[in-house]
Amino acid sequence: MRTRRRLSAVLLVGALVLAACGGGDETETADSESPAAAPTGSDTGSGSEAPPPASGEAETTMVANEAGCGDNKVESIEATSDTEVVFTLCSPDPAFLQKIAFVVFAIQPSEYLAETGGAPLEAPVGTGPFVLENWNRGSEITFTRNQDYWGEAPAFETLVFRWAEESAQRITEVQSGNAQYGTNISAPDYELVNADDNLVLLEDLNPNVFYMGFTNTFEPFDNPDVRRAIAMGIDRQRIVDTYYPEGSEVPDFFTPCQIENGCVGDPWYDFDPEAAQALLADAGYPDGFDTTIHLRDVFRVYLPEPQTVAQEIQTQLAENLNINAEINVMESGAFIGEVSEGNLDGIHLLGWGADYPHVTNFLDYHFAGNVQFGDPYPDIVSALAEGAAEVDPAAAEPIYEEVNNLIRDEVPMVPIAHGAAADVASASLGNASVPPFGAPQFKTFQPEADPLVFVQNAEPISLYCSDESDGESLSACEQVLEGLYQYDAEGNAVPALAEECAPNEDGTVWTCSLREGVTFHDGSDFDAGDVVATWAAGMDASSPLHTGNTGGFEYYTYLWGGLMNAPAVEPTEGATETATSTETGSETTSEAPTGSETPTESES
Amino acid sequence: MGAGSGGEQAGGPGGADSLASQEAAQQRRTGDSVTRRSTGLAEGDEPSDDELLDEPLSVWRLAMRRFFRRKLGVLGLAIVTLLALVALTAPIIAPYDPIQQLDRVEGTDVARRDAPSAEHLLGLDSNARDQLSRIIYGARLSLPLGVSIVLAAIIVGASIGAIAGFFGGWLDTILMRLMDVILGFPALVLAIAIAYVLGNAIQNVLIAVAVVTLPQYARVMRASVLSIKEVDFVAASEALGASSWRMLRTRILPNALTPLIVLGTLGIAGAILEAAALSFLGLGAQPPTPEWGSMLAQEYTLIRTYPHLVIYPGLAIMVTVLGFNLLGDGLRDALDPSLNE
Amino acid sequence: MIGYALKRISTAIPVLFGVVVAVFLLPRVVGGDPCRSVLGPRATAASCQQFAEANGLDQPVLQQFLTYIGNIFRGDFGESIKFSRPVMEVLFERLPLTAELALSALLLAIAVGIPLGVAAARWHNSPVDVATMAFANVGVSMPIFWLGLMLSYLFAVVLGDTWLALPPTGRFSAGLSPQPFYEVWGWTITDTSVGGGLLRFMSRFAIFNTVVSGQWTELKDALQHLVLPTVALSTIPMAVIARMTRSSLLDVLGQDYVRTAAAKGARQPRVIRRHALRNALLPVVTIIGLQLGALLGGAVLTETIFSLAGIGTALFDAIDTRDFPIVQGFTLFIASTYVVVNLLVDLSYGYLDPRVRLQ
Repeated sequence: MRTRRRLSAVLLVGALVLAACGGGDETETADSESPAAAPTGSDTGSGSEAPPPASGEAETTMVANEAGCGDNKVESIEATSDTEVVFTLCSPDPAFLQKIAFVVFAIQPSEYLAETGGAPLEAPVGTGPFVLENWNRGSEITFTRNQDYWGEAPAFETLVFRWAEESAQRITEVQSGNAQYGTNISAPDYELVNADDNLVLLEDLNPNVFYMGFTNTFEPFDNPDVRRAIAMGIDRQRIVDTYYPEGSEVPDFFTPCQIENGCVGDPWYDFDPEAAQALLADAGYPDGFDTTIHLRDVFRVYLPEPQTVAQEIQTQLAENLNINAEINVMESGAFIGEVSEGNLDGIHLLGWGADYPHVTNFLDYHFAGNVQFGDPYPDIVSALAEGAAEVDPAAAEPIYEEVNNLIRDEVPMVPIAHGAAADVASASLGNASVPPFGAPQFKTFQPEADPLVFVQNAEPISLYCSDESDGESLSACEQVLEGLYQYDAEGNAVPALAEECAPNEDGTVWTCSLREGVTFHDGSDFDAGDVVATWAAGMDASSPLHTGNTGGFEYYTYLWGGLMNAPAVEPTEGATETATSTETGSETTSEAPTGSETPTESES
Repeated sequence: MGAGSGGEQAGGPGGADSLASQEAAQQRRTGDSVTRRSTGLAEGDEPSDDELLDEPLSVWRLAMRRFFRRKLGVLGLAIVTLLALVALTAPIIAPYDPIQQLDRVEGTDVARRDAPSAEHLLGLDSNARDQLSRIIYGARLSLPLGVSIVLAAIIVGASIGAIAGFFGGWLDTILMRLMDVILGFPALVLAIAIAYVLGNAIQNVLIAVAVVTLPQYARVMRASVLSIKEVDFVAASEALGASSWRMLRTRILPNALTPLIVLGTLGIAGAILEAAALSFLGLGAQPPTPEWGSMLAQEYTLIRTYPHLVIYPGLAIMVTVLGFNLLGDGLRDALDPSLNE
Repeated sequence: MIGYALKRISTAIPVLFGVVVAVFLLPRVVGGDPCRSVLGPRATAASCQQFAEANGLDQPVLQQFLTYIGNIFRGDFGESIKFSRPVMEVLFERLPLTAELALSALLLAIAVGIPLGVAAARWHNSPVDVATMAFANVGVSMPIFWLGLMLSYLFAVVLGDTWLALPPTGRFSAGLSPQPFYEVWGWTITDTSVGGGLLRFMSRFAIFNTVVSGQWTELKDALQHLVLPTVALSTIPMAVIARMTRSSLLDVLGQDYVRTAAAKGARQPRVIRRHALRNALLPVVTIIGLQLGALLGGAVLTETIFSLAGIGTALFDAIDTRDFPIVQGFTLFIASTYVVVNLLVDLSYGYLDPRVRLQ
């Protein structure tokens, strides 16, 4: 008996220690949470349980930038009737339709946004072909067919999302019949798929580019001849042939050719080590020099084997150019941070996968004032500003020809590869294909049996995609949510919840007439108020519903030149840095040199 | 990012190592069995001072004899000796340059990731380098690294333990609580953090692993000091005016040597595992240095398609660690006579 | 005994405090940028600055620390930066899987390790002994991560078409998600009640849940998925336990009273069973207690290899994205579990062996 008493005393002390770790406080935290966190676990997502929408509620019909445009791209968004929304832009945007087709801008009911305090993180309510049934954290997400879908309803009842980190694991899942479709198969695993008659490899054509970038604020990369010498001295063909999967290409331009106006102008330099060495000698480096190759060890379609390719480039620099490079593998977040501030002395290996199918997505992000490659190249910046104002693709062609030629001449980076990728599917899965943009469109698939199980790389972070940027969250959202436009199987932006969005003459006002008779999964009707409410929650920093997951709303910020009504940033030292690196292509070139001073300051 | 290898612990670093540290912790609980046993010798024999001075020699000779009677211990010694030879003669016995990409050589017909063949016994890696040569050169890195980690940990740890045990009081409390904090941590997490802070380099791996493993040596040393302090003859020699230093040298060190050697040998095994885990996480040797952990890290996703790239570096780590474990075990058995009665 | 317990507990408190300090400081000095990991590579410097402000990362480290300590004492472990959910909520969601894995590995390790150790001691210096020790040594010499890969390669690929095939990843096969037992029993729970939270927590123990609710297909599937990770995780503790049992038993067998029993004619199996084993198991029990802490750490790697959503994978992802609150909360949990288990082991040992208390 004494034993038991002592032991229980011990246990009590243990429990106290554990209680300090917060064991008993679950309810308290849940209560103090915003309403968003209230639905948890298995009872989320049944849209039908949500209260019916109050009729005739007062909705915001307009959201506008109080202080005028500033750097922003969007001046106002207004519901002019139940079925019409007008976007007024601050400057013409030739890529408007391609941008709004991105699932980040998908529409949710205004009442639901209000009810969740602007953070419907776990249970999105959309108009899409599938309804979220259950998100079992850590293991899977289940969707069921939307019987009332406005388009053609899916041919099967249940769609399941799962995840596995390794390509080989995803193949195993499909091979064993546990799943019918898996994403992102790594190149060495192609053989596994080809060797199995029950599996098919589906080519993924998402436009991308892998490049080695130079920061021109560091020696010797301030010397254009050094950059040109490296451009000629790297055997890109060997890299693509040896390290990239079939279907990958050696780029002639930074932008891939699938993108309109992407590859116009003179193609890239041929591989010529003798000429490269001569150029390097003329530039004052007959014996080469020492430098560093910076990279992050993160698999991307544009760079399937980061370390292996880095070592190949290291070897080529040594053998072809006598340049002695050390490899520095960095933590991903830190690497991106340093790159985007232009702080890396040496060569950085990075790439770009398209967000939306427009040439500005490739060129403007990198070369229109970004300090990633050191001081922006003024001639490229001004040419890009001209292109960004031209809505007509045919009229823009000569401008992009000039831009591409300037990039070839200045060599801020060397494009190494356009990487090919592939997904794996069970051979019995009918109508399976990979669109160049966004997730597979499961609504059109014809599986042999129910459910259709899809394995992707990772679990979504949240299902409020207005405030997410990872592909895994977005692909789940795409099954449930729809925007005004969406991408079709060829990657074109086509109408979805809008019948049409038409520009005025100079491309600054876009009038969208909305599809009628569409209902959300909670039974409420879709109308213009929902469009304005969704955009306001994402874009208007002053909106009470501008909550989200992290509150970053990265794509609203990045695609539309910043948020509306954002609180003025305090003029601290950090703010100087901020102002220069958020410059967009419309900034005048005369200010460009300040961009280079800032990172130097921030170093000290 | 992928996963780490060899960090199978919350309490002790590395599998083998956690074994060692746990047994050390165990010894603390059971009244320091290792040290008790060795002092037990002295107690039982009612030694005169002379006998005591002679004893280490004969103990060592006896231990040697006992050691060579044990097959597993001898096997461990053989493995370690062989690996040491491999490391020493790597430039001679390695068939190829470990960082040369063989598919660049004119007139060769090899492709990267070629399976093992007569020319390339363990195949080629993802950069078309000869894997056997890389593994051979890897021994040149892992063995000295493991040994230096343990030496560093023993020197620092044993000093801390000796100071704590010798002076006692608040100094003892503070030092040993500090050791407890280190032990109260998932060792791999702590080692990762230290290595991150110091930056990616092989010498920082050394420091990180040495720091997380030093508490066990401190504990053993302190226990030795304490047990000796209690024995009468020490009090006697103290009374006779022997200096602390002399006592440390003539009484305490010889006594602590046995457990330190055993723990240290086992510690090398743990240190190699731990260092491989850090390299696996990209914190150790940078490419193209041939290091087993980073070789594994670079290729581990290819387990299904090119298993040879995953099996052999892992096997190299395993055999090395096994060698030191067997050796350590053999030494323990040989030096701990109570198991041989 | 009470005096000893109090003394031992008082020494655990500074250790816990030290762990808290270290847990807080380490991820911060480690460096790295949570902003870009969480907001994505497109994040601008302006949004990163806002991000830092919103998460209190722009404050001086000391102030952040004091806030953190204050919050801990109020039971508030903060919110995940990446998921905007309370750390404790994520922990309780992930813990059942890890606990299940760790416990099944521990059981397997005991069930195999002790008999192996006894056999080795019983037939000391025989081939059985050598084989056991060889196994134990190989067991502790493998990188657990590599062992996991080898096991999944063997059972999912090489033996993939035979009856020995085992699933390499996940907790359940796709499409198979068992109902929570309380739903099977027809209970309805409210979201915020403590009892509801407890039931949800319990229902996440897959084996417990399927057994009590009689979902046999799901149980079989859950068990199959558990085999490989359990074997991988149990190898090291199994080896440790086997070695400890062996050496402890040999130790006891050499002692006088056992020899006396043997001399009085008791046969060896009887000597071992009646006299030696009970005493020899004392230190083994200690080692078993210590293994539990080690298993929690080992689970980190095992879960990663087998794609299991336990606290290990969550911790790993959090380190990767610099999700400080999760890293802090989870490491603190693992470390304090370890400290508490150690404490309990010491106390029980102190109770069972009075000599320890006197030291």
